[in-house]
Amino acid sequence: MVDAARQPLIEVKTFTEVEKVEGYVGNFVVTLREKTKYVRADRCNGCGACTKACPVEIPNYFEMNLAPRKAAYIPMSQAVPLIYNIDMDACIHCYKCVEACGALEAIDFSMEDKLVEQEIGAIVVATGFSHFDPTPMTEYGYGRFPNVITAMEMERLNNSAGPTNGALIRPSDGKSPKQIAIINCVGSRDKRYNPSCSNFCCMYAIKNALLLKQMHPDTEISIYYIDIRTPSKGYEEFYDRARESGIRFIQGRPSEITEDPDTHQLFISSEDITLGKVIEREYDMVMLNQAAIPQPDQNHMSSVLNVAQSPGGWFMEYHPKLRPIDSPTDGIFFAGACQGPKDIPASVAQGSAAASRASRILHSDSWQIEPTVAVVWPDRCVSAKGQACGICARACPYGAIDYTKGLAAEVITAKCHGCGACVGECPHDSITQLHYTDAQVLAQIRTLLAVEPEKKILAFRCQWCSYGGADLAGTSHFEYSANERGLRVMCSARMDADLIYEAYRLGAGAILYSGCHPQDCHYITGQVVGAKRAARLEKIFERMQMSPGRFRVEWISAAEGDKYARVINEMQASLDAIPEDVLKAEIERLRPEMAKKLTKLDEIPGVAQALVQVDFIVNEMVGKEKVA
Amino acid sequence: MSEDPITKSHAADFPQDEPRIGVYVCHCGSNIAGVIPPEEVVDFAGKLPGVVRSIDTMYACADSGQRLIKEDIAKYGLNRVVVSACSVRMHEPTFRGCVAEAGLNPFLMEMANIREQCTWAHGHDRAGALEKAKDLTAAAVAKASFLTPLNMIKVPVTKRAMVIGGGVAGINAALDLAEQNIPVTLVEKEPTIGGVMAQLNKTFPTMDCSI
Repeated sequence: MVDAARQPLIEVKTFTEVEKVEGYVGNFVVTLREKTKYVRADRCNGCGACTKACPVEIPNYFEMNLAPRKAAYIPMSQAVPLIYNIDMDACIHCYKCVEACGALEAIDFSMEDKLVEQEIGAIVVATGFSHFDPTPMTEYGYGRFPNVITAMEMERLNNSAGPTNGALIRPSDGKSPKQIAIINCVGSRDKRYNPSCSNFCCMYAIKNALLLKQMHPDTEISIYYIDIRTPSKGYEEFYDRARESGIRFIQGRPSEITEDPDTHQLFISSEDITLGKVIEREYDMVMLNQAAIPQPDQNHMSSVLNVAQSPGGWFMEYHPKLRPIDSPTDGIFFAGACQGPKDIPASVAQGSAAASRASRILHSDSWQIEPTVAVVWPDRCVSAKGQACGICARACPYGAIDYTKGLAAEVITAKCHGCGACVGECPHDSITQLHYTDAQVLAQIRTLLAVEPEKKILAFRCQWCSYGGADLAGTSHFEYSANERGLRVMCSARMDADLIYEAYRLGAGAILYSGCHPQDCHYITGQVVGAKRAARLEKIFERMQMSPGRFRVEWISAAEGDKYARVINEMQASLDAIPEDVLKAEIERLRPEMAKKLTKLDEIPGVAQALVQVDFIVNEMVGKEKVA
Repeated sequence: MSEDPITKSHAADFPQDEPRIGVYVCHCGSNIAGVIPPEEVVDFAGKLPGVVRSIDTMYACADSGQRLIKEDIAKYGLNRVVVSACSVRMHEPTFRGCVAEAGLNPFLMEMANIREQCTWAHGHDRAGALEKAKDLTAAAVAKASFLTPLNMIKVPVTKRAMVIGGGVAGINAALDLAEQNIPVTLVEKEPTIGGVMAQLNKTFPTMDCSI
């Protein structure tokens, strides 16, 4: 902590929140809100006179509310930087602190929050985790029974810098507890709250037990556990040490804690798997080893940073195995528990790893980004012909399109992220996306539907989420119908209505229109553009009286392999439910309607030539001369 | 190869050259070949218009696989490459790099995902998986036929990092960056850095002080 403050190249901004992140790799612009402390950092010398003078006392969250603090405060004595704060919610405006501060004149009640912008090349996200509040688990009585405490409360009670100066006392009567139980997996590995394992709590329970035993050798400690997980280096030995020092390990998840209301003694009912029976034991104090959960503002940060969340709410890495430090956004990296529960050694290691990933960029003079950007055909743009339009500029999540009536729209390449929203939205087909041109995507659609198109489920997927979901379905070996034929574009916003009409015209049995969940979009609001179009298409197909299930819209994250497989299987079932002759008749009935919507397809530069050539490929595939 | 990545004149709308495509069907050990016979995909792809070379390889991503592709580019005058193997999320950068080493523009390489999105998901339906692998390969060949060369876009880099969160991971990342002479802004929403670690007493497995 102190090293960070002392390092001249690190600017520490505490009490500061990230409001907005704009830009792209190498060129982010981050807006920070420096919340006011009402104390001037350049004048405060950390003497603490204001705290002594302050008459207001409120619970100190840093001490898990076990001790009070003043309205003029620092959360802990080793605070870095050592600058005092005035908590304006608690302050009674007596100005005794101002008096005490005297000639320093560090306290300034006229200060306000400040918004500052910084230009940043790369970002490391290390926003950490939060603790599960066990209050909803009424069976453990937390909040009702004073001697049931959480792990973090134990941490402060047992800490020489804590509210009791390290004296272990039980909250009900201040006596020193002799029989202590620690219950593991409180809110973790529990389908009601968090199904996953919190990673470090087994070791954490053992640490607390050993520490208590060391400081109070006459204390008897029992740890209730489901499994003890000590896989890292030196951890099993640590566990052995605990067993040798007489700590009792009971395998079984307690079903209930009851209390004697007079003595506040606690009774834990639990199974003991080793003994094969239900046991009840009495304790003076019980510590609940809480699950690690995402930060309360993790969803908010996820949208500010434009990074997706895994099931459970943690930030999602680019690839769990190959790029575990990278976010899906180039130039943003993860460190520590914001990505999933991690202990200190793992967090430190990941901090170094993230620094190393970021420094690759920061040590370069320039960075390369993919050229899959949008380009306007100026001679096709209706604005150049004097028509008011600007649909492309409105669809663009990045403000990367210059639109002035009378001039052809222009893409500012450095700002373009290549989602293709403008391409999908342009009603005049005046924009294309490099590497995902209409000619290229149409060529894929034609080949994928070359043979028995009515049996096929054509799946449009975005690169970042639903394509990843399909990958995960495979990696997890979740089986689904082999009639699925997938193709990839960068974002659901690129899934032009023309592509869908053309697929139906060719006789596709069913089409999946899929992308990310709205909050996960790699392109800020690309999914919103895609979702609106999908909703329009749903209405159009309903009016055409298309059989239900032939057009399906689903938002599937890269973590939802199971959902991808389920959706495809459900689509297969809907397709199976339509009698073959009915389906074929419907395809024939709708073919001219689809064709009507596609009159201008051939005019898109490159498309006509491409389709002629694709027909040669398709002919080879079906082994006949003509295709639909 | 076009010099300007963004050809405003749209010379890139449609490829100017006749495609000479090489198709490489990966076994991925038994990951693909255990479900479908790669040779059948090879035979099928070999007949597609524009394909001048079609062959299977045990591991396309291995040195031997990449060497085969690079040698073929010279030997057969390939101007497009299709790799039927795994996910683009896994190896698109690998094969783009591979063709670039042989002097081909990296954007003239297209992948068909016949592992994650085919053999791994359709182990129960081997005939269906084979048909799908052929179709996915054909779609990649079709797209490859119309690929045009593109150049990466160079952007400048601001030499400053931001670390959001001043807990143990963030502090360590900030220190590592600063020690490499990179200026860092360390942002923390609480009034002090330290995070959860600062609230802890001793820490495992060494039982030393947390701060």
